[in-house]
Amino acid sequence: MANPSNMPSSEFAVDLHDVHKAYGKKIRALQGVSLQVRNGEIFGLLGPNGAGKSTLVKIMMTIVRPDSVNGTVLDRTVGDYFALERIGYMPEHHRFPNYLTGRQVVEFSGAMSNVDRATRRRRATELLDRVGLGAWKDRTVGSYSKGMRQRTALAAALVNDPRLVVLDEPTDGVDPVGRREIRDLLLGIRDEGRTVLLNSHLLSEIETICTRVAILVQGRLVAQGTIDELTSSSRRYEIVIEGSPPPWCTDSVSVHSLPPGQMAATGILGECCRLVFLGLDAPGAQPILDRLRREQRTVLAVQTVRESLEDLFMRAVTDPTTGLIYRPGAPT
Amino acid sequence: MMQTLAIFVGAYRELSARRLFWLALVISVLVVGLFACLGINESGITFIGWSFESPLFNTTTTSPETFYKLLFVNLGVDWWLGVFATLLALVTTCGIIPDLVAPGSVDLLLAKPISRTRLFLTKYCTGLLFAALQVMVFTGATFFVIGIRGGAWEWSLFVAVPIVTFFYSLLFSICALVGILTRSSVASLILTLLAWTVLFTVNVAETISNGGRLAIQMEIKEIEERLADTDTTIDEDEREELQSDLASTIENQPDWERVHFWFYGIKTFLPKTTDTLGLLNRWMLDSASMPVRDEDTASEAQKAFAPKRVPRREFLEVIRAAQRSHSIWWVLGTSILFEGVVLSIATAVFVRRDY
Repeated sequence: MANPSNMPSSEFAVDLHDVHKAYGKKIRALQGVSLQVRNGEIFGLLGPNGAGKSTLVKIMMTIVRPDSVNGTVLDRTVGDYFALERIGYMPEHHRFPNYLTGRQVVEFSGAMSNVDRATRRRRATELLDRVGLGAWKDRTVGSYSKGMRQRTALAAALVNDPRLVVLDEPTDGVDPVGRREIRDLLLGIRDEGRTVLLNSHLLSEIETICTRVAILVQGRLVAQGTIDELTSSSRRYEIVIEGSPPPWCTDSVSVHSLPPGQMAATGILGECCRLVFLGLDAPGAQPILDRLRREQRTVLAVQTVRESLEDLFMRAVTDPTTGLIYRPGAPT
Repeated sequence: MMQTLAIFVGAYRELSARRLFWLALVISVLVVGLFACLGINESGITFIGWSFESPLFNTTTTSPETFYKLLFVNLGVDWWLGVFATLLALVTTCGIIPDLVAPGSVDLLLAKPISRTRLFLTKYCTGLLFAALQVMVFTGATFFVIGIRGGAWEWSLFVAVPIVTFFYSLLFSICALVGILTRSSVASLILTLLAWTVLFTVNVAETISNGGRLAIQMEIKEIEERLADTDTTIDEDEREELQSDLASTIENQPDWERVHFWFYGIKTFLPKTTDTLGLLNRWMLDSASMPVRDEDTASEAQKAFAPKRVPRREFLEVIRAAQRSHSIWWVLGTSILFEGVVLSIATAVFVRRDY
């Protein structure tokens, strides 16, 4: 369990505003990003390569120096040592010395976070057991697989009993079984009252465990909220009927360009067709169904459909004017 | 304190994981073992069962204690620790700073509640751990050899530990700066060796030019005294030769003065690696009252510039006096200043960089 003295005093574990960072004169990695991560939630940070996710995380961890940043991390200014002592961090491409054992890696991480010797020894054993490396803890990291190194890094990130855990691609290189185990572990961490900031490319993973997400594109935050909130505008009814589309429905293939309440035929499926109603609730759809019945259409299926996180992500990273995916990096 | 200790423990683990560390330690012990095999008796030097006659080194001219101290200073420190062990140490530790700033490593450390300045300087100090451990083992072993074979427990030997470690720190500061700028172990090693060569060359050039300058001064003074000496009769041929020599020597004097001025000026701003190790020689000679032979105090190059009309011994005494005229604070102070500047630049680069 998280130490009661570590309990939060404000709503947000991370509350950053107007973060700017440029690399030289040509690359503007972050352009006024604001990010709020609530205490006790698992928060997913999404974005294509070069969107600025790692830069944002590294600014929080003092690895990259921001041009400007306002706000707090664990109620302290960014880079405050008291806050850093209470953050567990697992970088994406971490590199542990091959001659150290898993236990030594975790204990070193604890010592660097000012955890006393007895506590870090105890926690190293507990955590390595917890991540499934109990039998390997006294073997050198050089003999570990990629997945085992990821687990070691996770244990090292937790050794200081952190209030906030920042994980960059924690399941990278881990097999499906291990991924599931790490997912369960993250849920366990959240249940202990800790906050998790997860940076991952695995959208299904984020969708499964994250309470809220943020999407960064070209150094700007384009969406932030719960997955429900972010996908509510895409909620729609789909009705599959036999035969061709009725003449009174709009002949459109783009669901998102459809005005709410209007119907569109989005595809012919053999001898059937699919009609889509955007932004309608169930009562609002009933007159449409009545009309179809009056016209003696056979209704094959009626279902509520909502955008997946992947759909949302793709929409966020696509330039609406050109229909092309944004190029990596941020323009000047 | 906990973080500093953790970094040092990590550095020790890193060193002990490297074969070169153990190789250097084994060679250190072997060198001391070699010293222990050497002995001195009334006729000369002994090596295990063999005896080699020597008019210079025998128990009538040199005590066993002094003999071993001479071995320690002139061979052990000047050659083993000052050259070979330093090379091994540089090869072993040149990767410390590039490894620190390697992607994946630096993130783990910078995310911890420790200032970048402290992190960098602590890492720098861990690099000196290698040299310090080597010197400690070597000095400790020699201490016992001198105690057992020479019959004297000479604690002043341990002055070698801070002196040689400081000498190494001068080179390692350059290695650290190159490491932080290039992030390459190979570049750090090569450029440090190059810098060491430059320092050595400047030192040799300053020593030679100083020898030449002093030789000319003594020669001029000697000739002028002879010409002015009314008690001694000088025939016309000799007078002409003296006047001719005086004229040419006076003509050469500004060149030597100018050359020495420049090399001395350059040397003043550089770390004094050779002089730093020379301090040990100076202290050991003083503290242990070891005999000083004429040949000890002048380099071969300096001997080549000896004045023609001045007794050799007199010239060597002037050279020795000139060498010792550099105060300890000039040697150490200017070196510390150089090291401070180099480390400040390296630290500033480390602190200001994004990773």
